[in-house]
Amino acid sequence: MWTDRDLLAALQRGDGEAWDEAFRRLYPAAFAAARHPLAALTPSEAEDIAIEALTLLLPKVKHVAEFDELRLLVITIASRKAISERRRQLAGKRGGGDLTSLDAMQDDETIRFEPAEQLLTRLSGTDLRELSQLLDAALSGLEPRQADLLRDFLMHHLPYRELAEKYRMPIGSIGVSLARGLDKIRAQLQTMPKLSKELAAYLR
Amino acid sequence: MDNESFTDLAMRVISREATDDERRALEAEFVSAPARREEFERLKLTHDVLRATAPMAQAARAITPGLPAYRVNELRTAVRQHFGPAANRPKSRATSGGLISVLRWIFAGGGLAMLGCAVVLLCFENRSIEIGLYQTDLMRNGDKGLSAADVPSARLVAFDQDGAFDQWQNRPLAWNERAKIWVDNEHDLLHIVRRVQIGQVLTDTRPLAPTNEGQREQIKRVVEELKNQSL
Repeated sequence: MWTDRDLLAALQRGDGEAWDEAFRRLYPAAFAAARHPLAALTPSEAEDIAIEALTLLLPKVKHVAEFDELRLLVITIASRKAISERRRQLAGKRGGGDLTSLDAMQDDETIRFEPAEQLLTRLSGTDLRELSQLLDAALSGLEPRQADLLRDFLMHHLPYRELAEKYRMPIGSIGVSLARGLDKIRAQLQTMPKLSKELAAYLR
Repeated sequence: MDNESFTDLAMRVISREATDDERRALEAEFVSAPARREEFERLKLTHDVLRATAPMAQAARAITPGLPAYRVNELRTAVRQHFGPAANRPKSRATSGGLISVLRWIFAGGGLAMLGCAVVLLCFENRSIEIGLYQTDLMRNGDKGLSAADVPSARLVAFDQDGAFDQWQNRPLAWNERAKIWVDNEHDLLHIVRRVQIGQVLTDTRPLAPTNEGQREQIKRVVEELKNQSL
């Protein structure tokens, strides 16, 4: 059984057994990240992305101070690659056609990937760790049902119709309930001005 | 427009749940109450950040699925290519000393001879190609399915149960095996695990032909390809 510190040292030496162990530990996170709801890839596409993301850790391992950084790193790589892949697939399907109207732009799904891609390109492992802690804190401060609703909306990207069915709520009150939850997370985010500023800047 | 109606409308637009009429109603609201636009932008920013990053925070806690065994060799190859074979040697072997040097010198001839034998064996071995499939598929597809006569240079391995088939798929290639192939009907894929050079094994997945005849031709082509591939 490896400790995280021994494992990282062995990985940096290029020990094959250590890499087997690291890949085994990191694959679930890489796969889950590759199944990012924005990308909506099939399981076999996500598997390919996850494997590629794992191999991209090899040149980065020398610059890492803790094993857990590899987990955060593989998540950012796999998510970014998954969203880029989805964008590429959609662009291919549409043949790069010109967009003419504002309404057409609203409907063009490729546009919604741009901010996400931009954000994920710059998001560091530390940012992700802080964000994860912040989300935990914010969600635990909500009433459990509202936290679950928000989790399903943010993490699983369930549409309004499914949320209304699952939570037995009128569809008209879903948006207001989600907005209240988002406001609470934003208030929490403002207690971390550096992270808040960075995230906002990436999306502009 | 009261606050609650505005929030509902803004969230519908942000979440891409709004109709064209609702989008136009929001634009009209921005014109009549410009401060609403700032409120909308703030909500949208929080939404965009969290929809992109919350699934990643969730991914950090994932404990399933496990790494598929048939992808392990691919990852091992990447490790070898990045670090080179020397990086995998245990440190103790780097120890130097007089006695070790002498022994190394004495046994070097034996080592070379053994290496020579291994090379000869590798050159003359019968590298086989196996095709795994369910016994039921063999029987059900009849004339249209794959038979041993279609692929004389490969060996059909038929399975009755998932467990044994999974075990066969996950087993690394033996030294005398060139490749193995199996059909994944669940995902419409053809899996090929093949040796591309000594010590290097690659896994390919290709989209499966839609008909039984098409699949039979596809597998025949892959077997020919593998047979003609030089190591």
